[in-house]
Order: sequence, then structure tokens, then C-alpha cells
Amino acid sequence: MDPLPPLPDGRNRARTGYVLGGLAVLFVALAMLFLSTMREHVKPRKAIPLVDTKFLATTPWRQTYADLVKAKADLSDYDCYGCHEKNKPPTLRFDENQKIIVPQEHVNIVMGHGSHGRNNLCFNCHNDKNLTTLQVRDGREIGFDNIPQLCGTCHGPNYRDWEAGAHGRTSGYWDRSKGDIVRLSCANCHNPHSPRIPTREPAPGPHALRAVEESKPHDAAH
Amino acid sequence: MSSPFSSPDKTSDAAMSRRNFLRGTAALGGLTALAASLSPLLELDDLTSTEKFLQKYYKEMTPDDMSKVIKRISNEVERQYGVRPHVRDLKPMDGVEFVYCLNLTRCIGCRKCVHACVNENNQSRNPEIQYIRVLKMPHGSMDVEKGNHTYDDKHVPDPGYFYMPIQCQQCHNPPCVKVCPVNATWQEKDGITVIDYDWCIGCRYCEAACPYWARRFNWTKPQIPKERLNPNMAYLGNRPRKQGVMEKCHFCIQRTRDGRYPACLEVCPVGARKFGNILDPNSEVSYILREKRVFIQLKEEMGTNPRFFYYFDK
Amino acid sequence: MITAARNYLVFLRRCARIAFVGDWRYYAWMGGLTIVILFGINAYAKQLVDGLIVTGMSDEVSWGVYIANFTFLVGVAAAAVMMVIPVYIYDNEELHDLVIFGELLAVAAILMCLSFVTVDLGRPDRFWHLIPGLGQLNFPRSMLSWDVIVLNGYLLLNVHICGYLLYCRYQDKKPSKWFYIPFVFIAIVWAISIHTVTAFLYVGLGGRPFWNASIVGPRFLASAFTAGPAIIILALQVIRSYTNYRITDKALLTLRGIVQVSMIINVFLLVCEIFKEFYSGTTHGVSAKYLFVGLHGHHALVPWIWTAIGFNLIAMVILVLPVSRSLKYLNVACALCIVGIWIEKGMGLVIPGFIPTPLGAFVEYLPSLNETLVCLGIWAFGLLCYTVFLRMAVPILQGRLAKANEGQPEIQGDEPASVAPVSPATH
Repeated sequence: MDPLPPLPDGRNRARTGYVLGGLAVLFVALAMLFLSTMREHVKPRKAIPLVDTKFLATTPWRQTYADLVKAKADLSDYDCYGCHEKNKPPTLRFDENQKIIVPQEHVNIVMGHGSHGRNNLCFNCHNDKNLTTLQVRDGREIGFDNIPQLCGTCHGPNYRDWEAGAHGRTSGYWDRSKGDIVRLSCANCHNPHSPRIPTREPAPGPHALRAVEESKPHDAAH
Repeated sequence: MSSPFSSPDKTSDAAMSRRNFLRGTAALGGLTALAASLSPLLELDDLTSTEKFLQKYYKEMTPDDMSKVIKRISNEVERQYGVRPHVRDLKPMDGVEFVYCLNLTRCIGCRKCVHACVNENNQSRNPEIQYIRVLKMPHGSMDVEKGNHTYDDKHVPDPGYFYMPIQCQQCHNPPCVKVCPVNATWQEKDGITVIDYDWCIGCRYCEAACPYWARRFNWTKPQIPKERLNPNMAYLGNRPRKQGVMEKCHFCIQRTRDGRYPACLEVCPVGARKFGNILDPNSEVSYILREKRVFIQLKEEMGTNPRFFYYFDK
Repeated sequence: MITAARNYLVFLRRCARIAFVGDWRYYAWMGGLTIVILFGINAYAKQLVDGLIVTGMSDEVSWGVYIANFTFLVGVAAAAVMMVIPVYIYDNEELHDLVIFGELLAVAAILMCLSFVTVDLGRPDRFWHLIPGLGQLNFPRSMLSWDVIVLNGYLLLNVHICGYLLYCRYQDKKPSKWFYIPFVFIAIVWAISIHTVTAFLYVGLGGRPFWNASIVGPRFLASAFTAGPAIIILALQVIRSYTNYRITDKALLTLRGIVQVSMIINVFLLVCEIFKEFYSGTTHGVSAKYLFVGLHGHHALVPWIWTAIGFNLIAMVILVLPVSRSLKYLNVACALCIVGIWIEKGMGLVIPGFIPTPLGAFVEYLPSLNETLVCLGIWAFGLLCYTVFLRMAVPILQGRLAKANEGQPEIQGDEPASVAPVSPATH
């Protein structure tokens, strides 16, 4: 088996002995090493905080007047004729730019319906003859529990989508034979006085398994 | 040399027996080291029982087999999480094919869907497994490579961007199903591609095949906090998974096959998500695909024909 | 019948025995390999407990060095045919007695392939789901099921061919042509198929444009037929220097011719691929850009791939020049080929296919220590297998381990060379 000049018989055997003995020692050392690192687990992963339950909530952002009525909530803030006088339409006041001046009592209202101030008159929607109802442009009276009818007079395509279930939030059952679909009204999501949905805090982004996550090269370009 | 081996040994019998002894010692050492090298296996806490090891393929289980397996799963979950789950094997319904539509005009990128999904479907919190990835995309392009996955703006939406949530597209022609070597993933007749978590061998070929990066692997034992466990479970749906298997979005089988909407849809604050039965002409999704002028199947050129459509209002 | 069985069992026992005896170098080599294997087993045991999280892989880069090594080794296994073809089709005399070493290498390589696939599985306990009849083999739809079949089939073919020829030689019987020639020819086609199927594993994925290219298959074969024979050239020289088995320089130079041509084709196909990816400038070239020049500040693979290309080019130049007729230069070229192609086909093919992800995220990959130990363990296991195969095959081919000398004192390994009968097989 050995084309190299053979070592003297004894030395060859001696080396075999050394190698075998050395291996036995190495194996035992290895066994000790394995046993001592047996419970060495992967480095503990960085903790990921549980997401705030506010991000899991399915409740609508807003409650409409109709919801408050249904919930038998305290409606004293909504008692129009507690302040206004019946049968006397309130007068509107404007500043020099023809922008409506929101009176002190309604300071929580931010007027922002429609761009270019196209829809900035209270009585485009509110009924000046009866503040507890709303009105359409043709003068038809609409209750607070029927808001989509009012909004739909201007927002035709959205109203059509909403009716079909394609606009707005839904929950409950897609299979009507098993349960009801829950539909929301326009004002559950849109503040009628400034309907654009406000920006909000996003829920936390992904935590990558490996540290090297994207360095956002795309943002730099914009 | 002072070693006992060095003396020239004429009596080869003695040399032979010494060498045999040394060989034996070395071999014994090797075996010891082998046994020691396997010692980490003592930490295996989730030893496969014969019953689990021999568990049948989903499609080959009799109702009797299934009820036994469901009982076993329920016991396991209860032992591990202290909650008795309600596990069901929900079958696809006749005359139902699910379709998802997502309104890119409405989505504001709030990522609530991501976390509602995690919560509903008992996904691992650490390491994190999420079925939905929301991309922040600059206006004007549908090229996902321009998307930002990790945006952390204080407020969304950010002007100049739109947001595109991506999850399993429930393709008509799913590449993941084609490549699975053991048929552990398949498409059901209601269009949902499901995984038998107890059949998957964890080769991750489906993960490589998916053009939507929709599949996730359990790289280690999943971690679900007890207080957040969703006890309403389905066998092919959100029952807790084991280490070493794939998972992905299944349109919330445990809800949708029960007639309800998926969790990501219900949580969406802007109503950007729409779901329903495309075979029903009165469903929301039928309306959308009929009425909306532009809708997009992501990476249409892949020929996967997704059941997930992106559309625009304006 | 009983005698035949007894004879075969004696043969097996004597083969097994000789695997455990040798001189001090043999013990040192085998002991060293065993130590590396033990480290690998230990690392794998940890992986079994904690899951594949102990590797560097992630959902973004979901295959890593395991699959990279697997891919490379399928090529090595397939390359055995590059010795079989000259012998059985062109009746090459020089390689005739060496072809079995190629086939044994194929067996060792396939064993490594199967190990690499196994360690990559998340649930190796469910391997039986792949067995047709018991489980659910998704054949013929899944390319992985094809791979399972062709790899195991190739293993069986080669085990049969080697085992049969060696046993005949042991009995000093002339092998019956019907028992092995048909299998040899099947194995030739089969070898091409194992690497083609492995290529198709990647090519079939439409969602990964870097792999979804028809050139991947031909490139696989070209690189396999370069690296495989290069490994055989080096292996034969090792056999020659540690045994007195007759291996001529002419045989090595025949293999050089194969490596030479394959390397030229390999480099040509690489040029074709680079041209297509870069000149057209389509978005499908993103992975190639990441691989060759880096992208968006990510360039982990750039030094690797240029090392590979550099090695391949230098190897090609040496191989086409007459200097590589000298074994010294030939060996350098072979080593460069092997390393170059290992990088190119492993890190250079598997990893960039995942970067960026189909959703455009850049997440890089680096093998972890544990993962590396498992890989080294499997490589050591493969070398150990090959050494054992040679330890059995060489004395059988030389007639030193034969039925004729049954019952006589067995080979010990550290007896002086003069004791060993010098009878190189030259049939």
C-alpha cells in the first residue's frame, strides 16, 4: 500500500499507535466539548414589543348623531334649540375673503368640505328651518339617520359604490344566509365638515429576522 | 524514543493485539464523541409521537381520523396556551369562489391589516411572521422594486405616495402548488390555496416559487402570547403551526368559510378591502370587477392569474 | 444459493474490515475527517432542536449554502460520465481501469447531495411523505420530485455498476456484459438528466427572473463537466501517490482535454448570460447587477463572483496553453476550476436568485457558523465515503483482496510495502 520508501517496520507501527492514541484522546476531548456546549442555544432574539391593541380595533373612528341616539348617549351637546331660537334661521357671517366665520359656540367645527370653498355654507346641508334635520339642495328634508341620502346628492359615484358595498367599511357576514352585513354610514368615517380622512399614526413595520433590512434606497430619490 | 510503541517488536502477535487494543480505544472514543455530539437532542421538547409521525395526509383522512386529530390538536393547544380552542375542519362551500379586491385609492398604509391578520391567524410574534406586507410606493409606478417596506413615518398617508398591501394572491395557477414535492399545499375549490401543516416537509421550494413573496417559514418554534391566542381555529387555517413548516394567508378560512369577512377587511379603517363570492353577481367583488375600469392583477405576466385584484376609484 | 450468499457476505465483511485498517496516515486522515463529521453532527443536532433559525437563511433568502453545495455536488456526480463516455463509447484504453474511480466519486457525491438536501429540510422526520405509495410524491408536476427520483436512481445505478464490477473482480470472474453494459449506458443518459433536472428546479420558477433563463441548464452541464473531471484529475493523482495503482499521465491528459473544452464552453455561456442581463437593461437584470456590481449599497457577493470569474479565466488560459501538459500547472488549473465553479454555482447562482425578493427588498445572506459546520461535516462525510470506497476498491482491482486469498492473513495497512504483492490490474 505504500510506494514511498517504507519506514522501518517498528517506527511505522509506533506512528500508528501514536495516531490511534491521539485520536482516542481527541475524541474524548471532543465529547467533553460537545457536552459542555450542549445547552448553548442560539443567541436570544431581540424582543419585539407586542403591537398596541389600538391597532387591532375594528370600531369606526367616528360616531354619528344617529349612533348616539341609538346608544342613548348624553345628547345635551346636540340640543340645537337649547341655544338657537325656533323658527328663526341663524344668520351666517363672512370675513373679508368671503369665508364663513364659525361662531365661538361651534369652534370645534373646522370648515373644509370641498376644495376651493365650494361647499362652505352651513345650510347647504343643515336645514335652516329645522336644525334637528338636514336638507338637500332641492329643499327636501333628511333626517340625521339618513346621511348617505344627503351626501349621495353630490357624490353620485361614491354613493353608487357605497350602495353596492364597494365604498366604505363593511363587517359581519359576506354570506347573507349566515348573518347580517354591517354597513357604516358616511359620517362614521368622514367628518362632514371636513371629510378628508385625517392622517394617522401607522402601526409598527416589520422586524426582519436578519438584521440587514432594506436601507430605503428609494426614499432618497424622492 | 521512550514510548512503549517504539521498541521494534518481533513478536507480531503482541504488536497486533496492542494495535487492536488501540483501534478499539479509538473506536470507543469515536462512539463516545458521537453520542456526545448528539446531546443537544435532549433539548427536543416536542418529540414526535408515533401517532403524529404517522398522521395521514389531509385528503386521505376519514372523518373519524380527522376528529381524532382535531382532538389531539385541541389538547396540545390547551396544554401549551391554557386555552381550549374551537378547532374545525371547514370545507369549501358549493357555488362559492372567493375574490379579494383592494382599493389603492383608499389605502392609507396604516398597517392595521398586517397586525389584525397576525392576531387573527395566531402568527408567531418573535420571530415575526406576517402574511401582509405593505409597500409605500411613489406615485406613478406599480413596480414593487420601488416600494419601501419599512417606512416609519409619523403619519400616513405621506403625500406623493400610495400604499400597496401584498399578501397571498390565491392564484388560479399557483406556482407554489405546482412545485410542492409532497402535495402539502393545494388549491381548494373555493379558490383558497391551503397548506396541511402536518404534511409539509419544510423544503421551502414553494417559498422560492412564489412571485409575490407570500409564503412564510417557521424558522424556529413560533411564539404566541397566551393572552393573544385566537381560539377560533381551522385545521387548514390558523391553528398554531410547528417549527419547520410553511404558512401563508388563507383568506381567514376559519372566518370566511363560516360566512364572515376576513380579519384584514374588518379592521381596515378606510374600507379599502373588499371580499366576497365572485360567483354571486350581487357581491361587492362582482360589482367592482364589473364597474371599475382599471383593476390590476399583480405581476400579470407571470400567468398566475390571481384572485386578488387591485383597483382605483379615481 | 447458500454458498453464493455466504461468499457475498464474506466479501462484504472483508470489505468492511479493510475500511478500518490502514497505516498511520490512513488513521490520521480518517480520524481527522471523523472529527469534522462529529462537529457537523453536533451542529445539525442543534439545528434540529432550534430549527433552521440557526442558519443565516430568512424568508427573504430562503435557500443558502446547503442548497448551493447540493447544486455543485450534483454536477460532480453527473461528471462521472465524462470518464464513462470515453471508455464505453470511444473505447479509451487509458481510462478503462480508472472509470470505476469516477463512478465511486459519483456515489460519494450523491450521498453528499442527499445529506445536503436532508439538512435543508425543516421537517426531516417527515421524509417518508416523499416515498411513493406511503406518502404523496407530486410527480411529475414538481421538479423536486423529479430530482428525488433521478438522484436516488443515479445512486442505485452507480452502486450497482461499481458493486457488480468489483465483486466480479474479487471473484476473478469476467463480468457478464448483460449485467452492467445496459446500466452503464442508462447511467450516461441518467447523469445528464440529474443535472438537467437540478437546473430545471431553478429554471422553472417564473417569479425568479435570475433563474428563469434557458441558459441555466446548459451552464449547469458545462460547469459540471469542468469541475467534475477536475476533481477526478486531482483524486487520481492522490490515489497514484498513496497506492501503487497504475495511473498513466496519458489518462490524466485525456481528462485535461475534457476540462479544457468544458471550461471554454462554460466561460462562453457566462459571457452570453452577462451580455443578456446587462445590455438589454431590463428590470429582470436586477439580481445580476446585485451579483456582479452590487446594488443600493448591497454588494456582499461582488468579491465572490469576481474571484470565481478570475479563477475560471485563469484556469481557462492555463488549460488552453501547452503548459498544462505539465501536471504541476494542470493541478493548479484544476484547483482554480473547482473553487471557481463552486463559488459560481453556489453563492453565485442560488443566493442572487433571492435578491432582491419578488417584492423588491434587499436582504443579504451570510452563512452562520452552525451552518458552515454542518456543511463541513457533510463534505468530510463525502471524503470519508470516497476514501473508504477507494480503500476497498484499490486492493480488489489489484487482486490483493480476492476470493482466492480468503482465509490468508488479511491486509493490515502498516505492513511495509514490500510485503504487499505488486500486481497492478492491467486488464
